[in-house]
Amino acid sequence: MGVIMETGPAVGGLMRRFLASLRDGVGFDILLVGAAMVFLIAMAGLPLIYNVLMSFQQVDMFTLGSLIRPWAGFQNYIDVVREPAFWLVAKNTFIFVFFSMGGQFVIGFALALFFAQNFPGASTIRGLFLVSWVMPGLVVGAIWSWILAGDFGVLNTILKGLGIIQSNVFWKSDPAFSIWAVVIANIWLGLAFNMLLLSVGLAAIPRDLYEAAELDGANALQRFWTITLPMMRSTIGAVLSLGLIGTLQQFDLFPAITEGGPANTSTVAQYWSWQMSFQLYDFAKGATISVMMLVLVLIASIIYVRSTRHEVRG
Amino acid sequence: MTAQIELKNIDKHYGAFHALKKVSLSIEKGSFVALVGPSGCGKSTLLRSIAGLETITSGDLHIAGKEMTGVPPRHRDIAMVFQSYALYPHMTVEENLTYSLRLHGVGKAEAKAKAAEVAATTGLSALLSRYPRQLSGGQRQRVAMGRAIIRNPKAFLFDEPLSNLDAALRVQMRKEIRALHDRLGATSVYVTHDQIEAMTMADWVVVMRDGVIEQQGRPLDLYDQPVNRFVAGFIGSPAMNFVDGVISEDGRGVVVGAGDRIPLARQAEPNRKVVAGVRPENLRVAEGAASFHFEVGNVESTGSATYLTSKDGALQLVQTERLGFSVGDRVGLDIDPALVHLFDPQTGARI
Repeated sequence: MGVIMETGPAVGGLMRRFLASLRDGVGFDILLVGAAMVFLIAMAGLPLIYNVLMSFQQVDMFTLGSLIRPWAGFQNYIDVVREPAFWLVAKNTFIFVFFSMGGQFVIGFALALFFAQNFPGASTIRGLFLVSWVMPGLVVGAIWSWILAGDFGVLNTILKGLGIIQSNVFWKSDPAFSIWAVVIANIWLGLAFNMLLLSVGLAAIPRDLYEAAELDGANALQRFWTITLPMMRSTIGAVLSLGLIGTLQQFDLFPAITEGGPANTSTVAQYWSWQMSFQLYDFAKGATISVMMLVLVLIASIIYVRSTRHEVRG
Repeated sequence: MTAQIELKNIDKHYGAFHALKKVSLSIEKGSFVALVGPSGCGKSTLLRSIAGLETITSGDLHIAGKEMTGVPPRHRDIAMVFQSYALYPHMTVEENLTYSLRLHGVGKAEAKAKAAEVAATTGLSALLSRYPRQLSGGQRQRVAMGRAIIRNPKAFLFDEPLSNLDAALRVQMRKEIRALHDRLGATSVYVTHDQIEAMTMADWVVVMRDGVIEQQGRPLDLYDQPVNRFVAGFIGSPAMNFVDGVISEDGRGVVVGAGDRIPLARQAEPNRKVVAGVRPENLRVAEGAASFHFEVGNVESTGSATYLTSKDGALQLVQTERLGFSVGDRVGLDIDPALVHLFDPQTGARI
């Protein structure tokens, strides 16, 4: 009894102090950071670690429910590389990433430069371009699937009308074109995002630098090479890194346009990983492929973070 | 003397806004011309039109005898120092200096030698490998100047180059820019809103307002003979006092109040309403009979000078001696009649 009498007020005081610090002290900051940390660890961190772990384990129907499974070492990685489709998928992934990013960046940059020219309505029209970015990938995929359709697609009609092709090209089912069909759709999808980021970068370059360069004797091309590009260095680094991540994440277009076919000629790593895990139920290989991609994204992220650290302005 | 820059009837419209109205100006080779006026008077627009950064709506522009109206800035052979300096942030001082040379295909060694030479004249020799962000305001200013002089252009244009510097540095750079101009024998056009800069640096001052040149001339001529009330009020610091009054019956004074009259050195039209302009530094505290009076509203003493402001704020007086007046004192004033300016109350024109 006496003990309780003594500790009661002390505990109450502690509680009050804790609540007070939550209201207006450092406790509130910890609470906010803590909520974010819990969310990150639970929703991103643990699944990521579990995924990496799984890529080093033997996973089958009998061990699916357990966390600790027979250790496989690098066997899953060896198996994935030995898959007959591996090099085809690697090549497709490279084509998809390189040309999607290249197309998005070059056309996005051109559009950003175009809309930086301050003609009437420039910012309004630029805003409209964002529509493509807002649209769900599956919807974009469905639309491009129709545009690219071999027998009734509008692209074939246009190309034939212009006399560029004589007979229909079966974009989605011809092994020579299937990956390009998805690349075209993906360029369209990511264009607005690239253009927007690059527009922001362009707008941040002071106008008087161009004027000074102009008086120093630089023509438009020289101004682009000696002022615009170097001043955009960090923006370009960010756009390319985010572009790489975004392209490696791009999934919706594949089921909507080619489903990876024909004969895996348009399968890329992320789609392959999904097929392994959720169509063939080979979770170990699916996890392994995604870890391989994770390493690539990680490298891109490091480049991105470093490029934003090297701000030259000021 | 030949005109290095010749402007004839320059007009500039921004949509409905008429920024420059039939501006004509001839800038002699080797002269230092200041364009001065309040914000929005068109002085910067005029400078940028000379540079080619703004296209003029109509009129003729000649630089070194050549028609320049349709010529792009990079072919005008003109250098400009910007208010923000506009240094290339991603280039070192040396690269900033040699940028124009490299564009024009000058060899690396030659460009380097020239940069070293210019750096020596502008005091930048120790800073050549630094980036602009590592420089102080005054050093950036020097880089901007160095970048201009390395090209040996037909004219230097300055767009309020000192406004980002602190007061002490501004006074120093004022002298440096003028000394540089004299050493290079350059033609300079200098835009400023600070009439002190214009008066102290320039051989020729052009006062602008609302897109029109109000008056141009040698600095002291503008000070002594302002053509209108605007120029009179703009040139000189502290600003000229303006007092409303009527010319007396005998035409030898301006009646400004009960028994108060500002004397005139010449005969004026009797009974005409006028605005009398008297500079604060020309007013004297009367020792004997005063010609007019004011009531002290404010006394400021800087040690070297005493500033008295009248109760109604209309009159200010500067004396280099220390005056023992306090607020509320009634002071008798006197002035040399030759230093009184008369302006028309409606048009503001000098009478």
